[in-house]
Amino acid sequence: MDLTLIIGIIVLVIIVVILLWFFGYYNRVIRYENRIDNAWAQIDVQLKRRADLIPNLMETVKGYMNHERGTLEAVTKARSAIMTAKTPQESMDADTMLTGALKTLFAVAESYPDLKANQNFLQLQDELTHTEDKISYTRQHYNDSVLNFNNLIETFPGNIFAKMMGRKERQMLQIPEASREVPKVSF
Amino acid sequence: MEKQPRLVEDHIRKNKRDTVVICMLMVVLLFSLIFAIGYLLGAPPVLVMIIALPVALFYIFMTYSFSVQSVISAAKARPANPQNRPEKLLMYKVEEMSLAAGLPTPKVYVQDSRDINAFATGHKPEDSIICATTGALEQLNTAELEGVIAHEMSHIKNRDILVMTVTVGVVGAIALIAEIALRMLFFSGGKSGDRKGGGNIIVLVIAIIFIILAPIFSRLTYLAISRKREYLADADGAYLTRNPEGLAKALEKIKGDVPDDPKGSKTVAPLYIANPFKRALRDSLLSTHPPIDERIRRLRAM
Repeated sequence: MDLTLIIGIIVLVIIVVILLWFFGYYNRVIRYENRIDNAWAQIDVQLKRRADLIPNLMETVKGYMNHERGTLEAVTKARSAIMTAKTPQESMDADTMLTGALKTLFAVAESYPDLKANQNFLQLQDELTHTEDKISYTRQHYNDSVLNFNNLIETFPGNIFAKMMGRKERQMLQIPEASREVPKVSF
Repeated sequence: MEKQPRLVEDHIRKNKRDTVVICMLMVVLLFSLIFAIGYLLGAPPVLVMIIALPVALFYIFMTYSFSVQSVISAAKARPANPQNRPEKLLMYKVEEMSLAAGLPTPKVYVQDSRDINAFATGHKPEDSIICATTGALEQLNTAELEGVIAHEMSHIKNRDILVMTVTVGVVGAIALIAEIALRMLFFSGGKSGDRKGGGNIIVLVIAIIFIILAPIFSRLTYLAISRKREYLADADGAYLTRNPEGLAKALEKIKGDVPDDPKGSKTVAPLYIANPFKRALRDSLLSTHPPIDERIRRLRAM
C-alpha cells in the first residue's frame, strides 16, 4: 500500500480521536459548571427564605424580649445585609453574621420560659436552624463542585482545551474567621 | 480525604450490571420453569416457548416495577408526618443531606419499630425513598441521625439502592413461588392416596427445582449486601457530613440496642443500615452485614 495513504489514515484517526475526546471534555466542563451554578442558585433560594423568616421571628419575640434590643438589632442588621449583598461571597458573609446574631438570640431566649413554650417560636427556631444547615450543606456541595471543576480544567491535557474555551479557575466560598468563634452572650 | 469520581462511576456501572444480571437470571429461571411445566403437561415445545418467554419477561418487568412498593409494604413503612416534630426534623435532615450530595430530595418514610434502623430504596435518585424507624428518631441525636441519613444518601448516590431493591424484589418473588409450590406439594401430598398421576410429578419437579435453586438465589442476597458497598457508603456518608463520629456513635448505639421483635419480611433485611435480625444471625458464619465493630473502627480512623 501507498505510504502516504497509510500516514494519511493515521493522521485522520488521530484527529478524530482528539476531536471525540474534546467533545467529551467540553460536555464535562459544561456539566460541572452547571452543577456549580445550580448549587449557587440553591444557596440563594435558602438565603431569601431565611431573610423572609426573620420578620416573623421578630414579631414573635417582640412581646417577650423587649429588654434585648442589642440582640434584636443585630439580627435585623444582618438581615438587611443579606438583602443588599451583591456577590456570592458578600451574601455568605452576611449569612454568617445572621447565624451569629441568631445564635445569640436563641441563647438569650433560653432565659425566657414563656417564649420557649411558644409553639410559633419553636417552629421558627427549627426552620431557621434548618435553613442554616441547608445553606452550609449546599455551600459544601458548591465547594466540592468547584474543586471538581478546578481539577478538571487545571490538569493536563484538559488545561489546554480549558484555555481554548476561556475557562478559569472558580473561587470557593470561604467561611469568615468570625463565624468560628463562639458567640458571646451578655445578659 | 480525596474524592475519586472515577471510582464512583465504576461502582455505579457495576451496580447497574449486577442488576441486569439478576434480572436475566430471573427470566431464565422463570422461562425454564414454565417450559418444564408445559413439557410435563405434554404441550408442544414450540407453543410453550412462545408463551413462556413473554410471561417470564412480563413477570420480571412487574417485579422490577413493583419492587419499591413491595419493599415499603414488607417493612410496613408509612410516609413521614410533618405535624410530628421528630418526623419533621427527619425530613429536614434528609433534605439537608440531599443538598450536600447534590441529589434530588428523596421521599421520607417512617417505620414504627423500637429498633434503631434505616434503609433507602428506589430505582434511581429521582424516585428514591429514605425510611427510618421511630426507634432511630427517639434514640439518636441530631449528629447521629445525620450520619445514618448520610449513609443512606450515599447508597442512593452510588445506585446501590437499584441493585439492592431489585434483588430483594426478585428474592421475594422467588420465595413466593417457592411457597406456592410447597403448599401445592402438601396439598397434593394429602391426596396422593386416592390419586396417582401427572399432577404430582409436576409439583414434585417444581419443588425439586426450587430446592436446588434456593441456595443459589440466597447467594444473590449476598450480592446485594456486599461489604464493600457498606464500607463505601460509610466513607461517602462521612464525606457528606464531614463528621465520621456521628455515624460511628449511631452504630455504637445500634450495637448496644436490644433488638425488638423484628417487623417485616426477612428478605428486606439486607436493605437496612444494620441487620435487624441480629439475634438470629449472631452465630452464623455468613452474616449479611459487615461487622459493626469493624465499621466503627474504620470510621474512627478517617
